[in-house]
Order: sequence, then C-alpha cells, then structure tokens
Amino acid sequence: MFLRLLFESFRRQKRRKSVALLAIALGMSIATAMIAVGNDIGDKINQELRSLGANLVITPVEDTLDVNIGGVNLKPASEGAFINEQDLVKMKGIFWGHNIKGYAPFLNAPRKIQTRNGELNAELIGTYFAQPLHYGNEQFTTGVRSVNPWWKVEGTWPQDYGDFPEQLPPDVLAGSKLAQQAELNIGDQIEIGGRKLRISGILNSGGDEDQAIVAPLHIAQMILHQPNAVRRVTVSALTKPEDAFARKDPDKMSPAVRDRWYCSPYANSIAYQLREVLPNARVEQIRQVEQNQGKVLSRVSGLMLLLTLAALLAAALAVSAAMAATILERRQEVGLMKSLGAGNSAVASLFLTEAAFLALAGGTIGFIAGAILAHRIGQSIFGSAIVVHPVVLAVVLFAAVLVTFLGSAGAVRKAMQFDPAIVLRGDA
Amino acid sequence: MRPNRNTSQLLLRLLFKAAWVRKDRAFTALVSVAVVATIATAALTIYSDLESKLSREFRGFGANIVVTKNSGALTAGELAGIHKTVGDSAEIVPVGYAIATETKSNAKIVVGGADIDKLRRLNSSWSFSNAGQGSALVGARVDETMTHGAALQLSFGKTSALIKPAGFFHSGSDDDSRVYIPLEDFVRLTGVQPNTTLVRVEGRPDEIQNAIASLSAALPQAEVKPVRQITQAQTAVVGKTRSVVLASSAVVVVLIMLCMVATFTGSVLERRKDFAVMKALGASNRTVNFLFASESALLAIAGSAAGYIFGCGIAFWIGKANFDAAILPQPLLLVPVLLGSVLLALIASTAPLRLLQQIQPAGILRGE
Repeated sequence: MFLRLLFESFRRQKRRKSVALLAIALGMSIATAMIAVGNDIGDKINQELRSLGANLVITPVEDTLDVNIGGVNLKPASEGAFINEQDLVKMKGIFWGHNIKGYAPFLNAPRKIQTRNGELNAELIGTYFAQPLHYGNEQFTTGVRSVNPWWKVEGTWPQDYGDFPEQLPPDVLAGSKLAQQAELNIGDQIEIGGRKLRISGILNSGGDEDQAIVAPLHIAQMILHQPNAVRRVTVSALTKPEDAFARKDPDKMSPAVRDRWYCSPYANSIAYQLREVLPNARVEQIRQVEQNQGKVLSRVSGLMLLLTLAALLAAALAVSAAMAATILERRQEVGLMKSLGAGNSAVASLFLTEAAFLALAGGTIGFIAGAILAHRIGQSIFGSAIVVHPVVLAVVLFAAVLVTFLGSAGAVRKAMQFDPAIVLRGDA
Repeated sequence: MRPNRNTSQLLLRLLFKAAWVRKDRAFTALVSVAVVATIATAALTIYSDLESKLSREFRGFGANIVVTKNSGALTAGELAGIHKTVGDSAEIVPVGYAIATETKSNAKIVVGGADIDKLRRLNSSWSFSNAGQGSALVGARVDETMTHGAALQLSFGKTSALIKPAGFFHSGSDDDSRVYIPLEDFVRLTGVQPNTTLVRVEGRPDEIQNAIASLSAALPQAEVKPVRQITQAQTAVVGKTRSVVLASSAVVVVLIMLCMVATFTGSVLERRKDFAVMKALGASNRTVNFLFASESALLAIAGSAAGYIFGCGIAFWIGKANFDAAILPQPLLLVPVLLGSVLLALIASTAPLRLLQQIQPAGILRGE
C-alpha cells in the first residue's frame, strides 16, 4: 500500500515532482561546484604563486661573502666554495621530492668579453635553461625558464649543451642593458676566454642578469675551467604556510613529533631534507617569497571558504523553500489521508520518503552538473582541471537529504495541524 | 476593462488577502527571492572590492619598485620628486652601498647605508634577532663567517669604524652578505650619498604600473624598475582570484535564480484553481495577469530589499573575517538587485499563466 502510494504520487504528480527535483538538483550543483572550487583553490593559487620564483636557495657552507653591488660582482672567481652539480639531482629523492617544482643552478664570475666593437668587462652566468634530467625512472626538465618565469627573452632561448659543440659556436643570452651598452644584437658573435659564443637572444630579467652574459651551465663551466661546479642553486618548492610548529628546531623534538614535522611540507622541513642529501650546503628560505606567499594563499583560500559557506547556506535555504512550497500545496492530500484514517506518522513517513527519493535523485544530478561546472571553471581560469573528489558525492547526497527533510518537515507538520474536514472544504 | 474605484479596491483586497491568508506560501516565495538577492549582493560587493583588498596582502613582499641613479647620487630634489610622485602612503627607503674591508680577515664586505627602522619595516619578511645596543643590521652570513655576534671593525679606505650590531637578519638573498648601518654614519664614513631608493607602492597592479610610469617621467636621470617577480605574481594571483570569484558567483547566482524561478512557477501552477475561479467569475486574462504579476512584484521588492541588506552584511563580515578590513556596501548595487529580482519574479509568475490560459476554467475546476 505504502509503496503504491509512493509510486503513484510520483507517477501522477510529474510536474510538481519535477519542479522539486529541479530545485534540489540546482542547489546541489551549487554545493558541488563551490566545494570543489573552494577545496582546490589553495593548490591552484599555490601554483600561481610559483611565478614569484624560487623560495629556497642553496649555497656552499664554506662560501665567502658575496660582494655584489648593483649587479657588479667583485668577488674573485677563484674565491669561495662550490656545490657539486652531480649531487643536485638527489634533491628529487627527498621525502617531499615531488614538491620540488624545479631548480636552477648558477655559476658566475666576471670575465672580459670581446665584441666586434672592442672589449668590456661583464659577468658570465651559467645556468640551466630547460635541462632534461632523470632521477631513477623519473624524467623531468628544470631550469630558469620554469623557476624564473618573469625572465623575458627576445629571440630564442639557447639549448642546454652537454659538451662544447665542435662546429658552431654555442648560443648564449645577452642581458638587455649589456646589449644596449655594447651594441650587441641577436646573431652577433662574442668571445670569452678564447671561446666563441653566439647571441641567440636578449634577456630582460629586471634584475642583475640584465648586465650579464647568460650561458648554458656546462659552457660556462668550461670557460671558467670549473667543471661540475655550481655557486648557488635556487629551488622552487610547493610548501605549506609556516606556523609556530614549522619554526621549531627538529633536533630538539621527540621522535614522534619530529616525524610529524619531517613529513609536513614546510619550507623548513624541505630545507632540512635538502641539507641531508647535499652535505656542505646551506639551505635558506628566500624569506621575501616564502614568508609572504602563505599569507596571500591563506587569504584567497579563506575568502573562497567563506564564499562557499555562504553559497551552501543559500542553496540550502533555496532548496528548503522549494520543498516547503510543494508540500504546502498538498494539504488537501494530507487532509484526505487523515480523514481516511492515516496517522500522523504514516503521512509524515510517506512525505519524507518521497523527499528522500527526490533528494537522492536531485543530489546525483546536481553532483554531475556541479562537477562539470567546476571542471569548466578550472579549465578556463587556471588551464588545469579541478578534480571533484568522489567523497563530495557522499557529502552532497547527505546534504540534499538533510535539506529536503528540513524543508519538508516544517511544511508537513503545518499541514497536519489542520482539521482534515476544514482542509478538505478548502477553508484552511 | 478600465478598473474603476471599486475594482481597484477589490484588486488591492485580493492582493493583500492572497498574501495574508496563505502566509506560508508568501513566506517561501519571499525567502527564495531574498536568497537570490542576498547571494547576488554579497558576491558583487566582494568582487568589486577584491582587487584592492587582495593587493594589500602583497605589501609584505617589500619593495616593488627600485629607483637607481645611473651615475652619481640621488639629489635632494630627486628624492623629493619621488615622495611627491608616489604619495605619502608609499614607503620610501634611500640606500647607499659601498665596499669596506674587514680589518681582521682582510675580506671585502658590502656595507649599505639606510634608515634602519624604515628598512626593517620595508622588509618585514626578514627574520630579525636583536643583538644589543649597536646601530647596525648584520646579515646572517656576515655573522656566521666573521663576527659571531661581536662587533665588526671596518675600514673604508681613509676612514674606519667599529660597527656594533643592533640585530642580525636572515633574508635568503644577497643581503645576508651585507651590513646595514644608519645613513648618516654611512655618509660620514664613505662620503657617498645614496644612489638607490627602494619604493613600496601599495595598490592594484594597474596603480603600480602607473606609479612606475610617472616615476620614470619625473626622474629622467634615473632608472625605475619594477621588482618584476612581485608585480607579476600580484597580477597573476589577484587576476585569477577575481576570475574564480566571478565565475563561481555567476554559477551560484544563475543556479539559485533558476531555483527561485522553479519555486515561483511551481507555486503559481498550484494556484490553477484560483485562476480558474477568477476566470469563471468573469475576470479578463489581463486582470488575472496583473493580479498575479503585482503579487509577485511586491514579494520580489520586499524579498530583494531584505536580501540586499543581508548581502551587504555578509560581504562586510567576510571582509572583516578574512581581510581584517570591512568590505563596505555598494549603494549602486541596490537598483540592479531590486530590478533584477522584480523582473525575474514577473517572468516566473506570468509565464505559467500563459500555459493555463490555454485550458478552459471549467476543466481546471473539474480537476483536469
């Protein structure tokens, strides 16, 4: 009997049911889309913040002070210590290796540069542009093109040579200020330390590199006669914003606490792990970047969280109102059922079961629509998909049932308060 | 039919009674309009203020513009020009650099001269530890390789001085290899005036671009450079966040509007009998349309006014909670929110009437 009532109610009131279903589906697609976007926004903005460049810098422990004013390096080339380039790839093997988005090694020294107009002094900087590397089975590409995304090159980026090419002179970049000063153009040949180089592009970095020649690392190592040597490495890592726990000294922690610290992607714990694989290296946060990106990140995530809450509340209210509206119109049915002898609980259970069915169907449709919307938002704004976690489906279904119950319960109770006779007469 | 005085009284009574007798029905309609107006107001208010609120969060990154004199020092007139161009809200720190020799190790070291307090404020992300009564800020690497907490004997060619640290700092940049001393001491010891000025301009990405352009125009002898990584990240993050807020608000507002339309349409369709009785009693289609439309319009006005107030409240609170600064109501939004809600309600309530007009009143009353 109960099942027949239920079935017939859906069969005969298609219009009314579809209005309710539509409202629930709309409300739940809001919930799905907002939860998905709000949940993923942190990761997405964290990726955007990588355009700030590296947040960790590695230098040799034994190194002497940098003597650098306005882009002019006054430190003698022979002075100071170096890091072994071969060791750098080990960074990918640390616990948080996947969070190392890229790194760029640098080797620099002032050199005399022969141009067609004469000789001048400038800094020679060697680095990776987009060097393909592998660690174990993992293939990856790293260098300044990804770590310093604000570097702009007019012309073409040089390739990362493994060895000094025999036939043609290797390509290098000329800093924009240097190019202007020495009247260097794309395609010009220069000579440093007896080696011929070709300028393939003009670099505009907005920094000290604008006054330098930037060459592939291995070419610079050969010109400077310092094979395998690297002066400084900047590392771009995805990190968790620093908190009080992050600032604690791991060497003074109990083993359990230390494990928790070690397994959190704080800049400090990543730096600690880098020091473990690179002995004699000093790993520092680039504080300007690391300390502030967390703040920006938490503001954006916080905003989206609050907006999501507001949207969820609005969706809940809208769905409740829609459910209440459909049930309020059915007080004659309630009156009829009661006058035929149905108890309050029987009426309520019929209406709530109907609501539950509507909620589950509407919730599922809403989840699918919301997931598509979130995907679209991710693609169009960040160029990468926002993935909706399957657990959101459970949350959304639960929320749909809860909200439709809340919306229906009040209306059902209201409908049951009236005397059936009065309702049926149409006086209520 | 031109309504005379009696019919207009009747219409008014019908309108009022329709809402009063079925309070709960009117209430659910009111809630659904109010929800739409609330979320639309809140989203638009936040969106309009988001750029400046979020841009403020970038102030901790330190200087975003560096002004360097190509040759010689910045003159007092040029410094005044910088102050005048970027305004009082900007932080301006002139810095001079020179190379000194540490007398014990004979190592070269870069010494900067600047207003130490201003420098600390500008670089709030550096970590500072206080060291004592001195006046200099000593970079972490200088402390590690040379001083180990003690004072520093520096020779500047003809002059020399014992530099006592006031604090040590970690920056993770070249500054860790430097020592900063108060500008007056620096000028006295080296005879060099500052040739670089670090500027922190607060504002939206386009305002910073404007500041760079006017600084370049005001200082033809100097080079004005944005700290590109920061300005670029600010543009990216602020732009993307605005887009996300806009896109997700648009999704929410459109869906919730559809939801409201469904509720409205549903409840009008439930009133088929009212409609049929009116028609059977001789009301014209126009009169019935007018009655239903004005009822919805009144509900929409009341609902959207309440929604506007709620929406402003939510935006204000989100600003306070997330940005520590209130997002103020935008009075200009009231009109579009009000008009939009009324228009939607009108469409939602009159569209189903067209459907009903095709059916004979007798059919509806018989329950077909």
